[in-house]
Order: sequence, then structure tokens, then C-alpha cells
Amino acid sequence: MCEKMNRSLAFLREKYGCPAGEIVQGTEFFELALPSGDRLPLLPWRVERRFVELKKIVDGKTLEDVSTFRFASFSAGGDAVKSAARELDLASFLAGSSVKQLFAVRNGETACNILARLENGMSASVECGINLPAGAAVLDRHEIIARRGVASDRTVDTQVPQSSIYEWTGAGLQTFTDVDTELFGLPNEQIWIVRAAFAALMDPALAGAWTAAAAAMKRYAEAIVRSDSENQPVQL
Amino acid sequence: MKPVKIAMMGMTHGHTRKYYQTLLENQKLDWVASCAADENAKAVYELYKTGVPCYLDPEKMLSEHPDIEAIVIASANEKHFEEMKFCAERGIHILSMKIPTFDMDQYDKMIEMVDKADIVCQIELEMHYNPVVKRLQQEIASGKLGKLLAVQATNITLSPVWAFPWQGSPEASYGKRVPLAPGDKRFRGGALCDHPHIFDLIRWLTGSDFDTVFAQVAPNLRKELEVEDMLMAAGKLKDGTAFLFDPSWSRLEERLKVPGPGWEVFPKRMEVNLTITGEKGMIQCDCFGPNVYHNGAPNDRYTVQYTYFDEWVGLIDEFVDCIRNHKQPKINLKWHKRTIECMNACYESIQSGRTARV
Repeated sequence: MCEKMNRSLAFLREKYGCPAGEIVQGTEFFELALPSGDRLPLLPWRVERRFVELKKIVDGKTLEDVSTFRFASFSAGGDAVKSAARELDLASFLAGSSVKQLFAVRNGETACNILARLENGMSASVECGINLPAGAAVLDRHEIIARRGVASDRTVDTQVPQSSIYEWTGAGLQTFTDVDTELFGLPNEQIWIVRAAFAALMDPALAGAWTAAAAAMKRYAEAIVRSDSENQPVQL
Repeated sequence: MKPVKIAMMGMTHGHTRKYYQTLLENQKLDWVASCAADENAKAVYELYKTGVPCYLDPEKMLSEHPDIEAIVIASANEKHFEEMKFCAERGIHILSMKIPTFDMDQYDKMIEMVDKADIVCQIELEMHYNPVVKRLQQEIASGKLGKLLAVQATNITLSPVWAFPWQGSPEASYGKRVPLAPGDKRFRGGALCDHPHIFDLIRWLTGSDFDTVFAQVAPNLRKELEVEDMLMAAGKLKDGTAFLFDPSWSRLEERLKVPGPGWEVFPKRMEVNLTITGEKGMIQCDCFGPNVYHNGAPNDRYTVQYTYFDEWVGLIDEFVDCIRNHKQPKINLKWHKRTIECMNACYESIQSGRTARV
């Protein structure tokens, strides 16, 4: 997997003339290994185009006075607590503010619901689950509610993510959503890892921000477990 | 590879601004100059603060930058012939907007000029570099759908005429003033002249060519226009594939002088969707979706914020590759000629009220 992603990264590096670096598997995240020996965590959701556009909508004041982030992510397997921590990081990234307090309710390892408060006063809810059947695509939704306007990565009157192509044949329905011409052929989750590595190489300032965010996500995950076990909100 | 010294010319085409980021970022290019058609186009160009100098006289641009190797001709359709001639006479490679010309004599002269000068002339049909189209082509080529039987496609947008007035001029968009049909006060030019993509894509997807076409116009949505803004075309390819195309300006717009936020009235200002039926299956395809959505500033209307939009990256890559490696682009003048002939046949059909052979 890393070999294929590194081939794509090498293509982008050559094309856009950016410094050396290699994607490697870390303990929690894929990481970018630099020639200096430094390694930095890659947070691919921060370069995923739908979230980049949502951030532009927030930062560009298309939405005014954001109140609430209403996020959800359901997957086939994985770790609901880590998913929830990632969603909190996404809220923090879009808000430009860290999480100050969270209250979590879990039911075993399968489901995790969170209400969080950010330092800037904004509110966030996160719904996570890992019980989709094997092979099912991630089902997620990211809605930002403001005094002026609502933005979302899901279109109105739909409950599930849409695809670019729906193909019906004797083998049933197959769907495709291709998002990147330059990296066409890589699965989307790998595209965002490559794009994250490329972004970090092009903008060294990301190293500090992403290292701090990765550390914060670890604290979020610990706080989720603690809040659930104490049935009380936890300050961060 | 030595970067290609590139310039832009005209700066009045709706796609002009879409090149800026790619021309600035691609290391294989060195964007050295631009040349605007007039002071207005120059003023709009300068809003984007590219840092690339803009001239009003192409001769002056070339005298200041004699090393220009290639030019993106980003101008009104009626200007393309003269501008191509200007480039060909100087051995400068050309990236042409999507309609070289509707005048087939002129078109043949363009081919001749380009061949004689031995330059690259790529036509900007950016859909070929859209990742969804790439997948669509791959799926069809795999044979999973079997032989294609029918294709329905939309290439519908808002009308760009308020920002790019030449698109509402029969002379500037079609090339001359030809009435649409007896008793119709409108003239050729407008929506059809803006939307060749689906006419081109069907040829790629099927590997076949147009046989006959029937087209009809509808009442205009914008009464001020003297060109068509609503039309449909239906026909057959030589391999029997039935098609139905909608190349209209069927999405209303705010009449902005410079495109920007709040341009659209309908939430999605531009759509290229295809429905493809084969003997063994069917595909529905949205080339510009899914996206993200909002109802915020400036108009508080539900709006599609386009999320995956990098066609110009691949298009420019191919152009550079063709220049440096002396290759023929996929979409060259000779290939594109049949597409233009079919669009002309649509106008003939509208005029006669009968099917036209392409």
C-alpha cells in the first residue's frame, strides 16, 4: 500500500518540484518520513476536498456566526472512539478552535455519541458506529449550522452519500466516485493520504499543526472513554 | 524538461480564469505574458492579481517576450481564426478554446495552417481530463455494458452572456448573423455554441460517428437575447446508438459582470450528466457531483459549491507533453471537425424543421 502511495507522491513531487519525503505506516496514523529523520503524522481528512471546501465556506464568511457542527460517521469495523476523535479534530479544524469539553455515551465498542464544546463557544455533536456490514462504504455526514446559512457535504433530502457513477449490470449495482485526475486509479482513502503528504512537503508549517492535532486527538480519545465511564462531561 | 514559455491571448472567454492556477503552479510551464482583447478584459484580468504582465497588442507582447512558445487562445469564437493565423505564422503552439470556428472553410484553413507550421494545436475539451469521465470511459471500454444502445446527456449551465457579452452576439459566437428559422427572430449563436462537450463525448464513448440529427429550439428564458438559450437535439450514430442531448442555458443567473459567488439562481449552475444504456447494463453519471452545499452569503440560496474541479490540470499536462515530445493531442482540429459538423447540422435542422444528415 505504501509503495503505491509513494509512487504517486513521487509523481507529484517531480511535477511540482517539492522536497523529498516518504509515506510510512505509523502506530496510529500514516506518517511522513523526512530525510532529516523527523516523522510527522498525516491527517488526510484535513486535505480531503469536501472538507477543504467546507473550511473555505466557513473562513470565507459564506456562513456567518457558526453555531453547531453536526457530524456522523458509521463504518464497517474499526474503532468508534478513534473515529469520534477524528471527527472532533475535523470540527476543531473547521472551527479554528480546539475542543474544551466533551460528554460521551458509548454502548460497548460499537457505538459512540458525543456532545462537545469548543474553546470559541461553538457546539459539536458526533455520532459514530462501526456496525455496518463488511464491505459497506463509510456512511458519514458533516453539517455546519450558522446564524447565516447551513453547509453540508450531503445534499438536501438524502440520507446516504451520493456517487458520481451508478452502474447496473447482471452483477448488480456498482458505484464510483473518482475525485482526482492526477492520482486516478488510487482508492480515494489513499489519494487523501498522498495529498496530505504532498501538502506537508509543500508547506512545512503544517508539521507543527498536525503534530499538535494528533496529540489532541489522543486526548480526545482518552476523554471519550473517561466521560463514558464516569457519565460526566470531561474538561480538556 | 525545459518549461514551456506560455502566454494567454484574448482573455474574454468564460474559461480564461480557470487556467490561472494551473499555469502558475505547473513546473513544466513558465507563464510569461497575457494579451487582453481590450481595456475591459485587461481590467477584469487584473482583478485576479496573477502577477503576469498583460498587454493589449500581441505584437508588443511578442517583442517583449520573443521566447513565447505557446499561446492559450482565450477569446471570442469569431477571433479564433485570426489569432490562430497569428500563432501559426510564428510557429507558436496553440491551445484553442472549444469552438475553433463554425465556418467549415475557415476550419479547413486552420487545419492547413497548423499542418504547414508543424505546430501543436490542441482543442480545449476539458471533460476528457475529468476523473469521472475517465472512469466512465474505462467502464464502457471494459465491455460490461455490452454494445451501447442509447445515450442521453445534458450539458446545461447558466448563461454567461452578462459577464462575456460576445456569447450573446450571433456574429461573435456563431461567426455570422444567420436566422435560426423562418419566422424566428433569433439568430444562430448562444447555448449551442457554448456546449460542444456532449457531442464530443459520445464519439469517444461509442467509437462511432454521427449519422443524423434533429434539433429544436424552445422559447428563450431570457427574452433580451437574440441567440438561442434553450434547445434539444436527438439523433442516431452510424452504429445505431440513439441519443438525446440537452445543451441549453437552462439555469438562470444573476447578471454579474464578473463571475463570482452568488452567480447562480438555480443551485447547480453547471451540469454534465449522462445516462447510458447498453445491451447488458446501464450507467447514470454525474460528471460534476457530488459536491458540498450551502445556503449562505451572498444570496442565502441553496448552492452547489463545486468540489472536484481539476480538468485544466490534465489538459495542460497533455499540451506540454505534445509540445515537448512532438505528439498529436487527443483533441486536435481534425478529430474535432465532426463534432462541429454535427453542431452545424443541429442548426440546419432547426432551420428546416427536418432531420439533418451530418
